[in-house]
Amino acid sequence: MVDQDTPYRTRRRTVGRVLVPVAVGAVVAAGAGLVPALASDSAPNLPAVSAEQLVAKVLGSETDAFSGTVKVKADLGVPSQLLGAAGGGGASPQAKALELLGGEHTLQVAADGPDRQRLGLVGELGGYEVVHNGDQLWAWDSKANEAHHVVLPKDAGHGRAAGAPLGAGSLTPQELAKQVLAAGAGTTSVTVDGTVEVAGRAAYKLSVKPTQAGSTVREVRIAVDAEHGVPLGVLVQVAGGGSPVLDAHFSSVSFATPAAKTFEFSAPKGAKVTEGRDAAAGAPAGAAEAAEAAGAARGKAEPARPGGDPGVNVVGEGWTAVLSTRLPEGGPSAGAGQDARGHGKGGPDNPLALVKSLGKPVGGGSLISTRLLNVLVTDDGRVFAGAVTLPVLQSAAGVK
Amino acid sequence: MSRAEVSPEEMAPERVAPERAVSGAVVRAGVRAGVRPQTAAGFLALFRSEVGLTFRRARTLALLSILAALPVLIGVVVRVETGGESGGGGPAFVAQVTQNGLFLVFTALALTLPVFLPMSVGVVAGDAVAGEASAGTLRYLLVAPAGRTRLLAAKFTAALVYCAVATAVVALSALATGAALFPMGEVTLLSGDAIGPGAALLRALLVAAVVAASLAGLVAIGLFVSTLTGSGIAAMATTVVLVITVQILDSFPQLHAVQPYLFTHGWLSFGDLLRTPMYWDNVLDNLGLQAVYVAVFGSAAWARFASRDITA
Repeated sequence: MVDQDTPYRTRRRTVGRVLVPVAVGAVVAAGAGLVPALASDSAPNLPAVSAEQLVAKVLGSETDAFSGTVKVKADLGVPSQLLGAAGGGGASPQAKALELLGGEHTLQVAADGPDRQRLGLVGELGGYEVVHNGDQLWAWDSKANEAHHVVLPKDAGHGRAAGAPLGAGSLTPQELAKQVLAAGAGTTSVTVDGTVEVAGRAAYKLSVKPTQAGSTVREVRIAVDAEHGVPLGVLVQVAGGGSPVLDAHFSSVSFATPAAKTFEFSAPKGAKVTEGRDAAAGAPAGAAEAAEAAGAARGKAEPARPGGDPGVNVVGEGWTAVLSTRLPEGGPSAGAGQDARGHGKGGPDNPLALVKSLGKPVGGGSLISTRLLNVLVTDDGRVFAGAVTLPVLQSAAGVK
Repeated sequence: MSRAEVSPEEMAPERVAPERAVSGAVVRAGVRAGVRPQTAAGFLALFRSEVGLTFRRARTLALLSILAALPVLIGVVVRVETGGESGGGGPAFVAQVTQNGLFLVFTALALTLPVFLPMSVGVVAGDAVAGEASAGTLRYLLVAPAGRTRLLAAKFTAALVYCAVATAVVALSALATGAALFPMGEVTLLSGDAIGPGAALLRALLVAAVVAASLAGLVAIGLFVSTLTGSGIAAMATTVVLVITVQILDSFPQLHAVQPYLFTHGWLSFGDLLRTPMYWDNVLDNLGLQAVYVAVFGSAAWARFASRDITA
């Protein structure tokens, strides 16, 4: 350093030195702020297509082999702890599927046709893996060191695979987008809204909006790969505004067929293996059921109520479809309401009292509301649920 | 600083002189040539002297032996207390450790990374400049025209070497303990796939390298703090307190927006390398963040050290 030889350091030089770290910090901050902004601004140039062509491209897409990383960000307005409790916690696929509905998650996905899929939930210092290969279905939780193994019936395996390959698998952009696209012609406006780049690939933005009044969904935006016609991302906006209620998109994707050994899975050494004989007995069935129920609700990405009550009816159609059922009959109701919180996990003695303590009183019953899904429980124990506003629920219940 | 902790070098500055003679020789050569020696050899000599100084300290050796003892403790506890059943509780990877000793490396790193490793790195980095200042050796160093920038670079590099050595000590001790107490062989990764012991060792090496690199940002912060004060113990304490404070901030869900920019945030992302396919996004984010911290706090340390008056 020259200044060591000079007895006096000028004040200007000292100030200049202090500016160096400030400048470095500023450059980094500017870079971090600007680079993503610039990247998202550069919409790729693609030939114009009509909405019909694009939807057809999606439905007719032959590409069913891919691998990549999916980021799922859900903000349903339900505390994630509650979702965990609702799923029963632990290693079951149901619990994991519900966990996805709160917060941000990263999934590693791979698929090769309807018979082979793999889905890995990337957790901190842990992982959760679901592997489907033919009639074999494995679910593996590294933290618990537990594996679930289910042998799917040959025929049913195919049927399910076509609709919803795995319970949790229905959260991949493909399945979500296909369900939404199949949702309804007369009740929905579908338009192509420019282009976007997703996971480094050029994609069309398909905008799906309900034309019916009363839906909590404002817009579903699907990014469709321009080359393969595969949905690369799904974004659900609610009528209430704010951040997207669901944002699932590939952060990286490859359409090369994954290596066959990707789908090979055997019980890890020393792991506790739970065997389920067929899908009905196995835990994954619950998730698949949930996915089917979600499909029945016209494909909106809502958590289906687990329950399996015999009397589930659909009132209305399209975006304003409302599921109705009855609360299970509880035991003696005396005093159960006082301690409803404590009963949340196990199974309350009196479901109606629990609902009343959780929900807010509205005309005709209690309302449990999230950003997307509203549930109305009438005073006589009927339940109405849907991605609709309260008046729609009330008219479905006939209480107003 | 307690009496026992004061190393001989600190007690007697005159004994440091032969130690510093290594760089002194180079310096003399430079003086003869009439310029400061801006050669790689000059830096190397300075760097070697710094590394030697760091690892000859009784304090450093004590820290390293504590780091070596921790995996043994963890291994013994897991061995004694886990009677076959391990229902998902306890520290990371415990279920895997009982199946394969190699996983003790990852458990030990995951357990030491939040507290023990940064603490010992904070001691070394925080002491780097301030320790010399409080021991009165800094001005002797600066009398030689070795250059403040180069001295700082040498100290930074020596502290990085300490990070690597500390991580290696934890990993090797864990490997030895794991091999002694648990079965070895095929390793089941977090994604449920099994890989052979050779491939698993390579992954352990990779993970250890990532863990060591994760500490680079902290080294830069510690060095900066060290240039701010003339008291070694103050710099060490500040650095360690900073690590703990930042980790507390990292645990508040309300601070979600800032958390990705905290230097401790991505520390445990090394677990993503224990999957097939390896998931690099978080690891690369973490390493990039460490590079940013090194750039910002390294230049801040330079700005401060190069323009400060050395009074001690």
